[in-house]
Amino acid sequence: MKNKQDFPNINERKPEGQKPDGSKYRVLVVDDSMFVTKQISQILTSEGFDVIGTASDGQDGLDKYKEQYPNVDLVTMDITMPRMDGVTALEKIIEFDKDAKVIMISALGKQDLVKKSLLIGAKNYIVKPLDRAKVLERILMSIR
Amino acid sequence: MRVEYINPFVEAAFNILKEVVDSDIKRGELYLKSTSQPVLGVAAIVGLAGDVEGRVLFDMSEVTALAIAGQMNGEELSSFDDLAKATITELANMITAQAVTKLHELGFTFDLTPPAIFTGENMEITDAGVEALIVPIELSQGRMEINVAVRER
Repeated sequence: MKNKQDFPNINERKPEGQKPDGSKYRVLVVDDSMFVTKQISQILTSEGFDVIGTASDGQDGLDKYKEQYPNVDLVTMDITMPRMDGVTALEKIIEFDKDAKVIMISALGKQDLVKKSLLIGAKNYIVKPLDRAKVLERILMSIR
Repeated sequence: MRVEYINPFVEAAFNILKEVVDSDIKRGELYLKSTSQPVLGVAAIVGLAGDVEGRVLFDMSEVTALAIAGQMNGEELSSFDDLAKATITELANMITAQAVTKLHELGFTFDLTPPAIFTGENMEITDAGVEALIVPIELSQGRMEINVAVRER
């Protein structure tokens, strides 16, 4: 007869948002859409990440990054935003912290800006519409 | 207006709605209007300017908009609040981005405005000198009309 130990327990899976030492990865979400911010935050929170802040434009994102530094492990950065766009904010964040891990969130059709971001130092990018699997895969590739 | 302008919008709407709303989608009969048209209650409008100019309207009733926004957020929304508006804006953004990528591949170059959302009763839209092509799309959440009025410059 099989006993309990023979079955894998899905609840024992370590959440993806945890570092090897058990603490949570800290994420700053920069996006001018309340919907996208909520979507990314929900996906990350449900995997055990800690969303330490949100910003609704590039300038706000840059300010919050500096404020939280060095306690930010990852930034998700929308490309098209008012006041300061995501590529400029990325540039300024990398200027401030060359090891910053930034992932660009892009609409379809912005390949040139995505390419530019990767050259500046973005770790990866995700094209909308976002889904859970895509977001987690790209983020984990960038932080590990 | 040439039908090749509207097809990318219809295809993109299909693809994106299927992906983010996961709805049983059916396309209705395309029709042409040169006079004023009623707006259903919630309309996201995106302007185009360049080789082609005009606007695209994603039009639906407030009940439908709420149901779609609710589905996209994974929760029931009780009023057409800021989150619901941001959700419909994002839906219009995603559909337009995909359609425009296709139109760019076909060789048309133009810029887009960010979507603006109109809400209200008894609204209508008039495009002077441009006829509008309308494609109704039936979702399990209700009907959405894609209303495209563009011309070559």
